[in-house]
Amino acid sequence: MTTSTEHRRATRAGRPSTPDSHGFATRPYDLVKEFVVALIVVTLLTVGLAAAFSSPDEKAITMRDWANAAPNDVVATAAGELAGTTTSAGFGPPYNTAADGAALGPLKLQKWAGVTIPLDSAQDLVLIPLAGVTDNSALTDALAAWQSADADQRTQWASDYSDALAQAPDGNPDSVATGDYGPVPVIAAGFLTLANTGGLEGALTSSGNFYGGDQTKSLLLLADGAYLEDQARARNLGGDQWGMMNETGNYPGQPWMWLYTFWYQVPPFSTSENADALVWGLMMLLTLGLALVPFIPGLRSIPRWIPVHRIIWRDYYRDHPRR
Amino acid sequence: MTAVDTDQPPVATPTSWTARVRERISRIVPPGQALPDRQPAYMSSWIYVFGVLTLAALIVVVASGVVLALGGVTWWHVSSLGHFVNSLHLWSVELFFAFMVVHLWGKFWMAAWRGNRALTWMTGVVAFLGSIGTAFTGYLSQANFASQWISTQAKDGLNSVGVGAFFNVMNPAQMLLWHVVLLPLVLGVIVVLHVILVRRHGIVPPIDADEETAS
Amino acid sequence: MRPMILLADGAGRYVSSGVIQISVTNLVIIAAMILVFVLALVLPFPGRHHQDSSDRDS
Repeated sequence: MTTSTEHRRATRAGRPSTPDSHGFATRPYDLVKEFVVALIVVTLLTVGLAAAFSSPDEKAITMRDWANAAPNDVVATAAGELAGTTTSAGFGPPYNTAADGAALGPLKLQKWAGVTIPLDSAQDLVLIPLAGVTDNSALTDALAAWQSADADQRTQWASDYSDALAQAPDGNPDSVATGDYGPVPVIAAGFLTLANTGGLEGALTSSGNFYGGDQTKSLLLLADGAYLEDQARARNLGGDQWGMMNETGNYPGQPWMWLYTFWYQVPPFSTSENADALVWGLMMLLTLGLALVPFIPGLRSIPRWIPVHRIIWRDYYRDHPRR
Repeated sequence: MTAVDTDQPPVATPTSWTARVRERISRIVPPGQALPDRQPAYMSSWIYVFGVLTLAALIVVVASGVVLALGGVTWWHVSSLGHFVNSLHLWSVELFFAFMVVHLWGKFWMAAWRGNRALTWMTGVVAFLGSIGTAFTGYLSQANFASQWISTQAKDGLNSVGVGAFFNVMNPAQMLLWHVVLLPLVLGVIVVLHVILVRRHGIVPPIDADEETAS
Repeated sequence: MRPMILLADGAGRYVSSGVIQISVTNLVIIAAMILVFVLALVLPFPGRHHQDSSDRDS
């Protein structure tokens, strides 16, 4: 402890420098006891909250669930994969080169990262799983017809069928207008049947290996359909519903994500194709700002201007009035 | 080597790596300040307990996570005890973030970065971010509907800045290992650094305080 | 295989005002945090007049 009064030295900028904390009067305090008490308090709180409120566990949507609940959506998705019009098919890196993806001004980060998870939506998500079906000769013939057609013909068939499905009442394949869709209707119907058997995830995830573990293909396929998003939006989990903060049911969500998800609710982000990159860029900037508060003039002076600290240290200020 | 009397003062510039490391370590925190049994009298507010509450919550998070790890990824979906442990994990995480943010609010209004404590502030911010990332990989590892939605949504944001090319949120086998190994390790190091810095610099004095005469 | 969960069961309670929409649970959590913060600021911290006693609890 110091034995003489030191006037606060001024920094070069003229602001008073902070004195050494070890030069102040002290009193006994038991840090270890404080920690043990804190641990007990937190444990009791945790146990109490867990016992009272539990935690959410909504079952994952299986392909069979999807096929049962929204069969037309499954058929439409299969047709879309074949037509190359689904989200995954047109995504760009890291799955394919169908698009450049998002950009932050001149920074084409998505493109520069490259295709590291190569995916051919039509082949990987629809045709390869179907190739394993052996007891459906109509399907086998349809697949052969598809494989022997050229790319333009395939796109024609699949796009026409997709459009026809979109115009059919309720998207029902049975009510589709007549047209030349080639083997696509049979392939899409066969895909629905495969989904109904419960074998689709396995065909997608294991991809010939015994051990799965990587759900990328199943998830991309599911997300290409409308059903997953419909279920999510019904639970206020959509991006424009502050979904990042939310949880299913009434369970606590992620309140700390409030600022990240806020930007998606307001223009220009809410109307921008590039919203994801823009929000990322903005949040990285703000985060940097938060980390560098000690160095940002103005920002670092807010605690002085709005003196909440006078409450925190009221005992000290009462005992040490300003000269 | 000749026998050395251990009471002799150390050589001015020791060449032994061990001695250098020892000297280095002993200077990280002022003598007696690693676990002092006294503290500045100006620490007279409940706001000061939120750091230790955050730390305690982190320990409960890790402990409940360890129990979940014992059972594995599918355990808590089929066992009511497992589900309770999962609830402990969820609520300790909520408490962890709540205490951490209140701690952040307090430190901001105290301008606690003063007196060469900028690094303490910055490690705190990095710990906050690291916690968000760790929690995120946890949500991805739930193997339920929430994981399905969160992964397919998050991939868009991450892919837009190229991160998704090597951090695949739709790959639970990868995300789980990030959640239980990589990120907790990194977060642990950051938290340790943060606490060491707190002990090294001491608790920041009140704004406009002068050093006192001896009592 | 049972059909998918009815939409209403999973929805949860939300409040909204303009562009802001928040779950009741999250709102309670945030309100509680603010309350705890204010209380931490204003509640007296024990020990102010017992600087010499050695056996104080925090």
